[in-house]
Amino acid sequence: MNYSIETENLSLWYGDFQALIDVNVKIPDGQITSLIGPSGCGKSTLLRCFNRVNERYGNVTTRGKIEVLGKNIYDSDVSLPELRKAVGMVFQRPNPLPISVYENILFGLRIHSSMGSLTRTECDQIVEEALTSVFLWDDLKDRLKVRATSLQLEQQQKLCIARLLPLKPKIILMDEPCSALDAKGTLAVEELMEALAGTYTFLIVTHNMAQARRVSKECIFMFLGKLIEHRETQALFQTPEHPKTADYVQMRYG
Amino acid sequence: MNSLMSRPNPKQKFALQSIALLTLGVVSLLVWNVLKKTYLSDVQVSSVARVSDPVPNLLGDIYFFLSISFLGVLLGITCAFYLEEWLPETNWVRCLIEGQVSILSGVPSLLYGLLVVTVFLPYSGAFQRTQGFPPAGDLNTASLQVSSFQGDTTLFYIAVLTFVLLVVPRVIKATQEALRSVPIPMRESAYALGANRWQVLTKHVVPLSLPRVIAGACRAMSCALAVSALFIGIYISGYTIQPGRMSGRFALFLGAALVLSIFSSFLSQRYPLASTRHT
Repeated sequence: MNYSIETENLSLWYGDFQALIDVNVKIPDGQITSLIGPSGCGKSTLLRCFNRVNERYGNVTTRGKIEVLGKNIYDSDVSLPELRKAVGMVFQRPNPLPISVYENILFGLRIHSSMGSLTRTECDQIVEEALTSVFLWDDLKDRLKVRATSLQLEQQQKLCIARLLPLKPKIILMDEPCSALDAKGTLAVEELMEALAGTYTFLIVTHNMAQARRVSKECIFMFLGKLIEHRETQALFQTPEHPKTADYVQMRYG
Repeated sequence: MNSLMSRPNPKQKFALQSIALLTLGVVSLLVWNVLKKTYLSDVQVSSVARVSDPVPNLLGDIYFFLSISFLGVLLGITCAFYLEEWLPETNWVRCLIEGQVSILSGVPSLLYGLLVVTVFLPYSGAFQRTQGFPPAGDLNTASLQVSSFQGDTTLFYIAVLTFVLLVVPRVIKATQEALRSVPIPMRESAYALGANRWQVLTKHVVPLSLPRVIAGACRAMSCALAVSALFIGIYISGYTIQPGRMSGRFALFLGAALVLSIFSSFLSQRYPLASTRHT
């Protein structure tokens, strides 16, 4: 099996506080892996390591090795824009840019290509493809000029996924993608993830264990900055090896 | 997040536009009246023509306004962008400047007048050229004397410099607030798509915060124009405050104030009263 992401003894500090302690993890290609654990256990931090958005906070120290698509992302020759192009990210609250739906989808492409290199027909085609693959085209094809922030939350979140696609990422990181959505929206986004799972590698952080069970093939349990257990989802939920995992998945706390 | 994106609805828009038009109408009527009185008839408003003539004063105001808006607003906005977007929060330069800005934006405008009287005017040599202030008592002589100042362009530069000093901290504050109002998720989404800092700034932060930046700059400018009445204060204060070079005691107080303000800006960084940071 091929792995999209591999870490070796990854530790991370926010100032003096150690948020990740010697994490070793291998995320397999082309499937959905979920990260679960109580709040503050480092799930989001781990997720944010993989496209290096953590570094924006200034007081972050990272030690260890992270290989994304076979390349150590802390090598000096790694370009951050290229890394973030290959590793897309979807956030907790849908955060489309306050511009039109059309421009939202092209935003990523525009910042990565030189001015004027995209023709109008190319743009139209890209937008249509991206929206079709997130099942939004039929809803939005007549409203492409509408400000993206005026859409329903569910549509906004799908749009946030859609705008990654023109960049042709390999990996999509999702930080609690459904926590701001209602049941219907959650279901729609989950269906979307399942539909896209073959093409992209998904890594999702979720507080919703039912969701982890439904969508993911493998599941990772984290506790206080340590990776406790990483197994097939069904096995992890039915026969957890570690007592902490058992406590958590059987809702005894957390 | 929503307040930033909300647009006035058609009714509000109509109301705002009519208020703006009404204001414009009233102002242009006033200006027209003034012009008609002075230029379209033979009536002179005052015997001291150069001082009371509205057109040079109006032009002077416009020229003055343009100069301070160009210098002050440009400097303020650049400064705020540098502080907010480039310097990390723990940087000592940022901490020092932010402290000073907070203090300066709270300084009453009269003190700027005192600064002009005690520092700028004496050291610029404007007094030597006009033999000091006129004796107290005769207002007519005073206005004549003021008019004799008018040919001196140094005074104009002094005024502009003072007002730039007055405007810059306010513009910096307003711009910083505007930049902080851009929601973090908005920035993060752009960064996560691989935008670099410059792209995030130009395509994202600037368009989002521009309305607030402009509003802040306008507020600072109108505040500056309002206190330009302080010029009168300067001329009148000439009777009570003897203009002269900084005395030893004044320098001592100035030094003490400077030390205290620097000290307090570091202290406020260490023990912030209210967290205005967005991270």
